[in-house]
Amino acid sequence: MGVDAAMSQFDRTLEFMDQLQHAGTAAAVCERLLSVTSNFGLTALMAGTVPRPGTPRGQQKDHVLLCDWPGDWLERYVQRNYVDHDPVVSHMKNLQAPFQWREASKMITIDRDSDEVMGDAREFKLRDGLAFPLVTLDGEIVMVSLGGEAVHLSEAEFSMVSLVSTYAIGRAMQLHTMAGKTIDHIELAPRERECLQWAAVGKSEWEISQILGISEHTSEKHLLNAKSKLGAVNRVQAVAEAIRRGYIS
Amino acid sequence: MLFSLTTQELMERPDLWEAVHRLRYKIFVEEMGWSDLARPDRLEIDQFDHDEAEHHLVIRNGELAGYQRMLPTTRPHLLSDVLTDLYEGTPPSGPKVWELTRYAVAPGHRDGKRGVSTVGTELIAGFVEWGLKRGVNQVIIEFEPMWVLRALQLHFLARPLGYQRTYGNQQVVATLLTFNEHTLEVVRERRNHFAPVLNRGYPVQFGLKQAS
Repeated sequence: MGVDAAMSQFDRTLEFMDQLQHAGTAAAVCERLLSVTSNFGLTALMAGTVPRPGTPRGQQKDHVLLCDWPGDWLERYVQRNYVDHDPVVSHMKNLQAPFQWREASKMITIDRDSDEVMGDAREFKLRDGLAFPLVTLDGEIVMVSLGGEAVHLSEAEFSMVSLVSTYAIGRAMQLHTMAGKTIDHIELAPRERECLQWAAVGKSEWEISQILGISEHTSEKHLLNAKSKLGAVNRVQAVAEAIRRGYIS
Repeated sequence: MLFSLTTQELMERPDLWEAVHRLRYKIFVEEMGWSDLARPDRLEIDQFDHDEAEHHLVIRNGELAGYQRMLPTTRPHLLSDVLTDLYEGTPPSGPKVWELTRYAVAPGHRDGKRGVSTVGTELIAGFVEWGLKRGVNQVIIEFEPMWVLRALQLHFLARPLGYQRTYGNQQVVATLLTFNEHTLEVVRERRNHFAPVLNRGYPVQFGLKQAS
């Protein structure tokens, strides 16, 4: 009986890893991972490389690999530069093994700023969680943090969750390198570029259609194509990405 | 430069044989603290150094810089006979599955600060080349969970064989890595070194450094 129960839990873990291998986007990886960890009360996830202290706020989000964190919390975290004061982050830099958030707050002398980070986290229903660092081939540290309101984990579940998360991060990194490769080969059609150029100066789809002498539907289609080629989630990001890559000015 | 030698071939070269077992002692007994393997002659040897084992040696400037031992799973090996709490169900075995043990990089060759050194990645490129050449496409490794991420970064297909356990102060998880030509390409790309690393024959006699 006990053996059967243990086996089936292991089989579920394997099945999950198989699903991960087929996840095609970071969002899908996130969703699968949280579907497992939410059984233990871990409902929010953040994983990424640690920005060096003093990294401009604008660049902090580039370090994120996987994120399903309350949106406002992420905004506030970046806005107030919490990464430099987060006790979980400092603790992670000194340790190799997984640990629980509450240990991090206990072990370092809390300054006023760290206290503010943890207090604010609780406001966003992130009362406790677990975190661990991973080291990549190049020696870069990837920080993984999972949190929630009521976290219950036995020691065995704790290591299962950290292993499963490692597979999820690995999959996210594979997708990241694959995306890096395909994104370098994007080719925007002349019309798509023109539409983006006009969107960049604030023209609506209807205005663009009038300027270029095409239908509104066609201008919408060009913008959608450009958006997906650039891997952007909305038009603002598509414009920003096109400028960054030098397709429009 | 990586050489693959059978136990018999290794024994025919006492200089290499001694360097191998000394490096293993230094790393696994003295550094990692596997005290069960302690011996007064400070050579680490176990029951799996049998005649079907293959020893991979990375040589740098006439010195042993890296080492790993490949064991066939068609006869008793570490997972089946010693680390039995690391697998659930029946572990994979057969002529296409080997077990990688005693992965070691000599202290003077750990150039990557936290990352994997060039000797370390040469060992990885080495077992993949070696495997593809002889129809082996799966390797069982008992390693720290940290390595799972690196294996995935190199596009190995990874699967845990059981739960992770704590031995002393070390976390260990038995993992099956599956690889193909694509994996080899990714490994070579990461190393920025595209020539094969696996050499035929023997390295030159230790202590007789070449003039160049």
